[in-house]
Amino acid sequence: MADVVLKNVQKSFGRVKIIHGVDLDIRDGEFVVFVGPSGCGKSTLLRLIAGLEDITAGELFIDGERVNDLVPAKRGIAMVFQSYALYPHMNVYDNMAFGLELAKSSKAQIDAKVREAARMLQIDNLLDRKPRQLSGGQRQRVAIGRAIVRDPKVFLFDEPLSNLDAALRVQTRIEIAKLHSDTRATMIYVTHDQVEAMTLADRIVVLNGGRIEQVGTPLDLYHRPANLFVAGFIGSPQMNLIACEVAGVGPDEVLVSLPSGGTLSVPVAPETLQPGEAVTLGVRPDHVRVSPQGSLTGRVELVEELGENHLLYVDMGQGRRLTIREPGDARHEAGSTIALEIDRTSCHLFKASGEALPSRAGSPRPAPSSPDLTRVA
Amino acid sequence: MKLLARTGFWLLVIVIAFFALFPFYYAIISSFRTGSALFSVAYWPETFDLSNYFAVFERQPFGRNILNSIIVSGSVVVLSLALGITAAYAFGRIAFRGRSLMLMTILAVSMFPQVAVLAGMFELIRSFGLYNTLPGLILANLMLTLPFTIWVLTTFMRELPKEIEEAAFVDGATPWIVVRRVFLPLMAPAAVTTGLLAFIVSWNEFLFALTFTLTNERRTVPPAIALMSGSTAYELPWGTIMAGSVIVTIPIIVLVLVFQRKIVAGLTAGAVKG
Amino acid sequence: MIMSSAVAQAGVSAQHQARGRSSSLTRSRVRAAWLFIAPSLIVVTLIAGWPLARTIWFSFTDASLNDLSDYKFIGLENYLANYDGEWFGILIEPDWWHSVWNTLWFTVVSVSLETVLGIVVALILNAAFPGRGLMRAVILIPWAIPTIVSAKMWSWMLHDQFGVINDLLLRLGLIAAPVTWTANADTALWAAVMVDVWKHTSFMALLILAALQMLPQDIYEAAKVDGVSPVRVFFRVTLPLIKPALLVAVIFRSLDALRVFDLIYVLTSNSKDTASMSVYARQQLVDFQEVGLGSAASTLIFLIIALVVVITLAAGRVRLGEDPR
Repeated sequence: MADVVLKNVQKSFGRVKIIHGVDLDIRDGEFVVFVGPSGCGKSTLLRLIAGLEDITAGELFIDGERVNDLVPAKRGIAMVFQSYALYPHMNVYDNMAFGLELAKSSKAQIDAKVREAARMLQIDNLLDRKPRQLSGGQRQRVAIGRAIVRDPKVFLFDEPLSNLDAALRVQTRIEIAKLHSDTRATMIYVTHDQVEAMTLADRIVVLNGGRIEQVGTPLDLYHRPANLFVAGFIGSPQMNLIACEVAGVGPDEVLVSLPSGGTLSVPVAPETLQPGEAVTLGVRPDHVRVSPQGSLTGRVELVEELGENHLLYVDMGQGRRLTIREPGDARHEAGSTIALEIDRTSCHLFKASGEALPSRAGSPRPAPSSPDLTRVA
Repeated sequence: MKLLARTGFWLLVIVIAFFALFPFYYAIISSFRTGSALFSVAYWPETFDLSNYFAVFERQPFGRNILNSIIVSGSVVVLSLALGITAAYAFGRIAFRGRSLMLMTILAVSMFPQVAVLAGMFELIRSFGLYNTLPGLILANLMLTLPFTIWVLTTFMRELPKEIEEAAFVDGATPWIVVRRVFLPLMAPAAVTTGLLAFIVSWNEFLFALTFTLTNERRTVPPAIALMSGSTAYELPWGTIMAGSVIVTIPIIVLVLVFQRKIVAGLTAGAVKG
Repeated sequence: MIMSSAVAQAGVSAQHQARGRSSSLTRSRVRAAWLFIAPSLIVVTLIAGWPLARTIWFSFTDASLNDLSDYKFIGLENYLANYDGEWFGILIEPDWWHSVWNTLWFTVVSVSLETVLGIVVALILNAAFPGRGLMRAVILIPWAIPTIVSAKMWSWMLHDQFGVINDLLLRLGLIAAPVTWTANADTALWAAVMVDVWKHTSFMALLILAALQMLPQDIYEAAKVDGVSPVRVFFRVTLPLIKPALLVAVIFRSLDALRVFDLIYVLTSNSKDTASMSVYARQQLVDFQEVGLGSAASTLIFLIIALVVVITLAAGRVRLGEDPR
């Protein structure tokens, strides 16, 4: 059990800077997920923590100890790799025992630990098999088992589910969550899949271009994205982002003029905003409703039926498109014209710099139809 | 048209196979003929006389020559692989400064003309007191096999997944343990391939063996065959030479037939991927 | 080259260690790398670098094989010297230049033939037919047979009186009288080419085959659909695509052919007219005990081949310098 602290950690490969000074405080027993588009540095950051890459500048502490110069095995970590990275020539038992054997544990101790982990993961009947005789899911369990027997202070997962098929992914995801609740070990998990991030994490770290965009609980990021990047990255389908102009400013609200005409009052703190400034209005597909009273009109381009809800892609004119999610089966057909209403209290407003303006709408209400992320992903 | 193409194709296959195999076939039937029978050309085996096979062992220490070849080639293979695998791990998987320069130097050494080191090697072997000894030949042959062993093993080593090595480091392995416990077993097929190539190179080596040995008892097979002579200087004992040739070629042919795939993999790994 | 870079490297890694006393993974791996290559480096330096350096040194001396420790430095005299208006040295030695010419001719002719035949064999082996694996093994056999043995087998087949080749050609009426293949300078080199082609075409074919098998199949299907003739497909699609592999194979073979020794030594019985560069150098060195002169010839051979290698490596540099994954 340990906390992990990163202080201005940087990484360069040659002259290319991959990680630009990351500060992060991961608490003991916390499940933290690094998420971001490919090339954002999330895997590099994990490998820096593991000790598989050298930290160029900054400091890394695990359980209060500075570990910059320690080899991976001395850091009290265990890692689960995307490709499982099992030793092909060893059977399951030896794969799990290898680390303990190198640590000079006694035979009895090794045996007890390996068998216990195998029981926990329900692979005790596979101990004599070679990795190539196992299915993908079984291999991933062995990889996790190999991590468990090390009794690490920190578990590191590098996209561990991306080689599994969809059904197995959900199942293994649940098992990893269970492993966390059983062991209460600190876990750091890298993924590009926001469903994994949302469902597993105590806190999510959104990375982009080697920098942290936002750190927060899953719902924090969903309801209060700190900037345009996070707003666009978290949530599926993507948040609708509409370029607008400030029409007026009140103490706790900003009046924006919509491109298709009309205005909308958004309950955010205006800060230094002046009328005429360009801003971006963000509204999730769940927060736009088809309503006869709606002031906006558009033509339905495409309908996607998902069963418990449906998506409407609406052409608002001048090439602007709005995505809407409504519960149940669609009542509209492609080509029909509909009137729309935006739930202004759930709107986000971003300055030209991309930063979000603080909401004044009070604590966010649960979304009208809670987003079923598993389905869409 | 299709039939014509097919016939032509098979004709070509037969011609190639004939061209490849005929010299060896002819050596076999010649080796069974003795005396004046050799002085008439025969295309089909007509006699089955083993006296050439006895003669080859009687007139010179051919058994000893074969044993020498086995000792030299075997030792060269073991030494090349032992040195080559650790070096290949370093070259194939660790980024350190000067790596590609050194790797290229090693590749360049494998293209050295043997004769360019002949004088210096002669001096070296003499000063070690290894002239006309098998260890001298082993040392000299390493110059031919070690560089390409490193080169071929390095290309194989690069193909192994990085994550397995990293998993071993997380498990607490040192680089030496990674090589010994993780990569060595994984490299076994590649080592067999490379070892076979090294064996063939060393088994066939002639220039060093000719120059660094003096007496019949210390010669390996190639100089022994090259220097076989008959009762007079002008009359070569062709029947005996062919018998000797057949004897030393059969194990090589068996190796090729059994390990054909591995040998091809090694040849192409050294050249194409390099 | 090896030694100087090793020394430079040792300096760099020493600095590395001075900077941080604790061991991170990268540093321990780099340290291990030096440890792991050290034995090979020492052996290669000892048995390749050092002998080469000594050979070059001997080329500037009058050393003799009887007693290698008793020699004096004579500068460039082995290469070129002038006594009383008369020139001496290997660089004006007709026999040397003859051997250079023999070697170049042998290399160009045999490698060209091997390339063309190698492509034909590779194309055949690339077609799916029953017995393909066996065929691949069959063509490997000439490659695996020791050169000395091949040379002896062919000497016997090419024997002027009792050889099967003369017999065959006479029966077919292609020649009127037996040809003295290996004793006659005109035909001896052709004989050497024939044996070399027999032995090495398979090497060429296998490298080309490997390249052929990496070609994407859909181009051929597309060409077939478009109705392009197979000959055109070969010259316009296949050949350009396998060109890099072909070049590598040609260079490997050429370097090999340039140092030819065994084949010519055995096949043409050490004759002056057919000597290759390597045969010439060894003759000076061992038969005439002229270590100085022989080393000068060896050094020249090394320079010629080194030139080819340097050009090759410069061309292939990008690929060789790839970082490990």
